[in-house]
Amino acid sequence: MNGAPRRRQPDLPRAVALVVVGAATLALPLVLNTPQLTIYVTVGLFTMAVAGLSLLMGFAGQVSLGQGAFYGIGAYTAAIMAVHGWPPLLALVLAPVMTTAIAVVLGAVLLRLRGHALAFGTLAVQLIFLSVLSQTPSLTGGDVGLSGIPALGIGSFTLTSHLGYAYFVWLAAAAVLLVSRNITRSRPGRGLRAMATAPSAAAATGVNVVSYRLRDFALSAAYAGLAGGIYAFYLGYISPDAFPIMLSIEFVIMVVVGGLGTVSGAFVGAAAITVVTQVLSSLGTGPTLPAQLPAVLSDGVYALILITVLRLLPDGIVGACSRLARGAVAAGARVARRREPPPVGEAEAAPVVASAEPAQPEIAGLVPPRRGA
Amino acid sequence: MSALLQYLITGVSRGFLFALLATGFVVIFRVTKVVNFAQGAFVVLGGFIAYSLLAAGVPHGVSEGLAVLATAGIGLVFGAITILGNLTPVAALITTIGLAIASEAIAMLVWGTTPLSFSGLGGTDLHLGHVLVQPQYLLLIGVSLVVLVGLWLVLERTYVGKGLTACASNPYAARLAGINVKRMGLLAFGLGGALGGLGGVLIMPLFPLTYDGDVNLAILGFAAAIVGGLTSPGLALVGGLVFGIAEQLVAGYWSQANETAVALGLMIVLLLWNAYRQRAEQVA
Repeated sequence: MNGAPRRRQPDLPRAVALVVVGAATLALPLVLNTPQLTIYVTVGLFTMAVAGLSLLMGFAGQVSLGQGAFYGIGAYTAAIMAVHGWPPLLALVLAPVMTTAIAVVLGAVLLRLRGHALAFGTLAVQLIFLSVLSQTPSLTGGDVGLSGIPALGIGSFTLTSHLGYAYFVWLAAAAVLLVSRNITRSRPGRGLRAMATAPSAAAATGVNVVSYRLRDFALSAAYAGLAGGIYAFYLGYISPDAFPIMLSIEFVIMVVVGGLGTVSGAFVGAAAITVVTQVLSSLGTGPTLPAQLPAVLSDGVYALILITVLRLLPDGIVGACSRLARGAVAAGARVARRREPPPVGEAEAAPVVASAEPAQPEIAGLVPPRRGA
Repeated sequence: MSALLQYLITGVSRGFLFALLATGFVVIFRVTKVVNFAQGAFVVLGGFIAYSLLAAGVPHGVSEGLAVLATAGIGLVFGAITILGNLTPVAALITTIGLAIASEAIAMLVWGTTPLSFSGLGGTDLHLGHVLVQPQYLLLIGVSLVVLVGLWLVLERTYVGKGLTACASNPYAARLAGINVKRMGLLAFGLGGALGGLGGVLIMPLFPLTYDGDVNLAILGFAAAIVGGLTSPGLALVGGLVFGIAEQLVAGYWSQANETAVALGLMIVLLLWNAYRQRAEQVA
């Protein structure tokens, strides 16, 4: 196998891009004003929730229309505990824990469903969640919501500034993406991809389909739960209106736009859609314009983006970019080869760079689990 | 007792609305294997179009008929967007979610965000003991029943209906027999649109509709369709009635807030039962 040289080649531009994006997103909060920082924090939180959904959609090939419910469960867990006097940091840690526990119970039942059945099943879960919220006013504040959530902090140190939350969210989102990256490159990650393309074949090669799928679902919920927990502390007030069905659909749109089956797609999709929505709502808001115009514009654009991206860029922004990048690398290699014919020994090695580029190696390249591992 | 009768009458009429929606899901799914998330949008758009035509002075009957024709046309467009080109089933489902959002945007832009309604069939209310029955309930039940039975006859007895069924059971063989499977898929979407629009114009005098009511309608219609495994029009009617009556009984005897949770819980159980049955069939 020519695994090593093949892998190193496209990694260099990727590493450069990673450092540039990382540095830029770290420097950005310093120059943003408060409303812009709110958008920044939102992008970070959505990145985490979308990274979770991406694990499910991109790697396990299943659509969930209930990711917004897990975001909400995380938010309500953290808020209820903090309001009742638990230390905020502990409440924040318990948010993903609680979400994971609920996801394991739900997943054990719901994950028997596939495709459209799972989509409608998870949609039902979110509708039931919203119904439960309005039914339990003593615990969750009902339709009015919960207010007076204290600021995040430990001991005498509390996180109160928007800037502080911006960096906190950056750290959390970076951690989530790092976990995703490591998982997708590990044995369970390969197992998940194998399951998405051919569940029977995966099961036959020793992938524990049921267990992997459940763990994937639980982790995807945990991401959303953590993001929801931070959201509750950041805003200090939550209500059922913050977790509509549309939120779950927005997460699906972000996954599709960013790129199915890519880790960085979660960030790209969340950032692109959040920024576009904000721009549209500021364009559509004005004293002479109808009140529903921002919603009309953002819904219309969501629909347009969703339908066109599925047809024209089925692998999303990240997929399209990396295809372009690979094309450039391959073309560069071809030019270099033509200019100076390689010595006899390397003649076979060179074409590998150009030819070893299947359309979507991350998704289609089904690496069988190592024997005996 | 009279309360029970009232719930049953309301439940049966809601049930026929769900049955129309469910039959739309079934007709489209059988031929194209697409679950059309935008099915509820046909109801909302159909009702709203009839509302505008009536407001413009077009007489009853004509307005409703034109609205159903319009939703059939919208169904054709949605079908063309969803099934032309070869999308995977998941991509097709997400596309129909996009279409549902687009419909909401259009409905919000044209008709605003307040619930809309128009007066239905006139005439005096009928008295059944102590229960008042508006004639519109009977119209809804009668027309839906005639349309659903008519549709069943069309599917069973006519060439086009057999073509639709052929595409459903074996698309490859249907193509070999000279049936244009894509065209049948478009026809199915048109039919689905007409069925949804019909539900909309019949229900709107009884239950006002809002631009974003489509998701709840779609999920209840889907739940009813699941009773017949998304493939049986007869069981879709049964499913519609079950969900319609259950919804009204829960709302009447327990609490209105619980009706959604109960209906959705029932749907999840049905989905699981379906998945179990399919797996058992595969093993056998």
